[in-house]
Amino acid sequence: MKTVAKEEVSRRNFLRAAAGLALFSTSGCERVEDFLGMEPKEGPVVPPTGEGIDLISHLLNRATFGPTPSEYARVKGLGESQEEALEAFLDEQLSPDEIKDKRAQRAVRRFEAIHAPLGEMYEYKEEHLLEQLTRATLVRATRSERQLFEVMVHFWSDHFNIDISKKECRWLKAADDREVIRNHALGKFSDLLRASALSPAMLWYLDGRENRKRDASEKPNENYARELLELHTLGVNGGYTQKDVMEVARCLSGWSVRGKGKFFKGKVEFHAESHDDGSKVVLGREIAAGGGEEDLDEVLEILCEHPATARYLAEKLCVRFIADEPATESIEEVAEVFKKSGGEITKVLRAVFGTKEFLKGARGQKLKRPFEFLVSALRGAKAEVKSEMVLVDYLIRMGHAPFQYPTPDGYPDVASPWTGTLLWRWHFAIALARNEIGKDIKVDEGALLEEAGGMEGLAASLLGRTPNENELASIEKTGEALALLLASPRFQWR
Amino acid sequence: MEMKATGIISGNGDDQRTLVVVFLRGGADGLTLVPPVGDQGYYDVRPTLSVAENEILKLGDANCGLNPALKSLHSLFGDGGLSVIPAVGLQDETRSHFYAQDLMEHGGPVAGGWLGRFLRYRDGRAPSALSAIALGKSMPEVLRGAPAATVMESMDTFSLGKSGESTAQIQEELGALYSLDQSILGPAARDTLQALGRVEKLRSENRPPENGAIYRDDSFSNGLRQAARLIRARVGLEAVSLDLEGWDSHLAQETLITPLMSRLSDGLAAFHRDLGSLMKSVTVVVMTEFGRRVAENSSFGTDHGRGGAMLVMGGRERGEVEGKMPKLETGLLVGPGDVPVMTDYREVLKPILRQHGALSSMENIFPQTS
Repeated sequence: MKTVAKEEVSRRNFLRAAAGLALFSTSGCERVEDFLGMEPKEGPVVPPTGEGIDLISHLLNRATFGPTPSEYARVKGLGESQEEALEAFLDEQLSPDEIKDKRAQRAVRRFEAIHAPLGEMYEYKEEHLLEQLTRATLVRATRSERQLFEVMVHFWSDHFNIDISKKECRWLKAADDREVIRNHALGKFSDLLRASALSPAMLWYLDGRENRKRDASEKPNENYARELLELHTLGVNGGYTQKDVMEVARCLSGWSVRGKGKFFKGKVEFHAESHDDGSKVVLGREIAAGGGEEDLDEVLEILCEHPATARYLAEKLCVRFIADEPATESIEEVAEVFKKSGGEITKVLRAVFGTKEFLKGARGQKLKRPFEFLVSALRGAKAEVKSEMVLVDYLIRMGHAPFQYPTPDGYPDVASPWTGTLLWRWHFAIALARNEIGKDIKVDEGALLEEAGGMEGLAASLLGRTPNENELASIEKTGEALALLLASPRFQWR
Repeated sequence: MEMKATGIISGNGDDQRTLVVVFLRGGADGLTLVPPVGDQGYYDVRPTLSVAENEILKLGDANCGLNPALKSLHSLFGDGGLSVIPAVGLQDETRSHFYAQDLMEHGGPVAGGWLGRFLRYRDGRAPSALSAIALGKSMPEVLRGAPAATVMESMDTFSLGKSGESTAQIQEELGALYSLDQSILGPAARDTLQALGRVEKLRSENRPPENGAIYRDDSFSNGLRQAARLIRARVGLEAVSLDLEGWDSHLAQETLITPLMSRLSDGLAAFHRDLGSLMKSVTVVVMTEFGRRVAENSSFGTDHGRGGAMLVMGGRERGEVEGKMPKLETGLLVGPGDVPVMTDYREVLKPILRQHGALSSMENIFPQTS
């Protein structure tokens, strides 16, 4: 019943917005939206009441970029018990296509460069592509209802890291983001891996395009082959040898991508004459001579089915969602599901959230990385963001700007490398709460307080638990609840 | 489960080393900065744009010297505080400003800047919030990928908000809350607050430079002056990047770059004097994307070439001419008549980065790529 009513409302609103859009330019699109009151009515704010972080807050901390004020009550209401609510939330989030997400989709539509067909991306200035891609990433993380999907996009962007500043990645990373990462973020790992292996940006980033073997004297370029084994599949202790790296490089030789100066720029193609077509042995399995471009599929199949891949991916996901040093049992449990499901990412995630360690283990002990801190603050404070560029400045100061990590291993996902970022976290928290970040970002602390039923409610809403006496005393002394809460130790953790 | 408070040292680094990278944008003419000594070939191809042999500031018995406009740096060479590297540059043959700067700042055809990677992969210390600053308007490529890097316009950049009682109050309360924190953020917060306190002190005192150093009033010298204050205040500063622009001397080279050389030289000399004995732990590297064509063009300028010059000041420099100035004979020049690159700029940087804490392999900082 409820869903039907909601749909009708949004359809009607959509028509109204469409009419509005015809009158206004696209750049004013967001204001039109606000003017027409497009938002589906938000539920009431009922903050957590426990002294510790309960399962709902824990789940929202880990499976999303942090709760908005009303999200806690909404998710809690999805089930009779918190465990039931968790299941229902995962059901919802693991079918992202069924979640209405017009608001975020509309907000990213104005970034036209990132929606362009591959070859046309070269027509944009490289700095515009980076700007639009970064802004879209912030918009989606902050505003999308498909939170777990966006969290996984964030995860895979690190796993298959591409620094946009290398050569033609400047133009091609946006396509990689769209067609590789977002397209397969909750799909099958093998599809994601294959898409990445044949991604024009990846072929540039890890020099796959230079991997040629045209005659006996030429040596294949091993860069991608090595990272494919070390970082994308088996992991550094995954049991492969230097010989395996060389054999994989031979298998992948001949795949290249057309450069900027050519027709069909960005097009990936296989050059049989540059492929080493002899027989190879990869991780003990023989690949017969004459396989040509099919060598790639054979290699990827061997890697996806290898138990080390299941274990390595399981470990990384446990580090992301459970703890910096997850228990071996959790990793093994998740790895088992990875193997059994053939790398079905939604099933693997269910396994992660179903581990005893996730359900009963430590809460609030994963340090938010700067991007996560920033987005969780914007969500928690219901900030109205007109332009994201000032946020990017903060991310650069904290060394966590999307698509700008220089080496293929992606931004670290544990606490210790990020402890030097407190100054800018505090700076951001204070500026945000005081509306001093710039004219493009606004919060309304008065409204937040009212909605949450006062200062303690706001604190509980942001911290995921009721404030302790020290926090209350500090808020009292400063008289700036929002600034202090966002800058406080508790809010740095998820 | 309690987080261990390991992997963190005082971000205020009382024993901190600081690397200052000065980029001369536009391709500074190496043969003007560091002219050859005793090479008739130089005078044959540069009838108007050469430095007369008797005006060149000699560097011991080396076959190159310093331009007289760099005279404030000359005595540093004698004292062992300055090294000079002629005919240095990229292996790549590009003569495009953009591409050459990009390559040089990235440390090869790779992603991210070498200085950014250095900060991320040097020995395991956690970086402080003030570990890297770019003096100027924007973040240079060389710092891309750094774990923390800030474009600093003034000292006010480093504060928690508009100064006043309310910000001070928040700062105090954060100190109280974090001091109770048992996680690794506890010590990190203490370091951060200490660094903030030191910057605050700098801001309020506005002391003159030390040791009688006098800075010129231009943006380059002002930048160096700010950097010296931060280094002296020990706020955890490990890397500084600043640019001196305008070296693209296709036309009327002498009038264009002589004043730039004075700005460079006077700025660096004042910085050196200001920091005094602290220069032991500070290294300044001066670099440019490429040198210029050996032969001058018809408009008393020079065009894009290859081998240029680098200067290294402070740190553990011994005051040497590193590498070789080649003879400027037709057969030895490269491409359309350019100074060959006798020294790869990365070979100059590597020992310096090691002194500043880089791990010995350097694989992460200057990856081997195709």
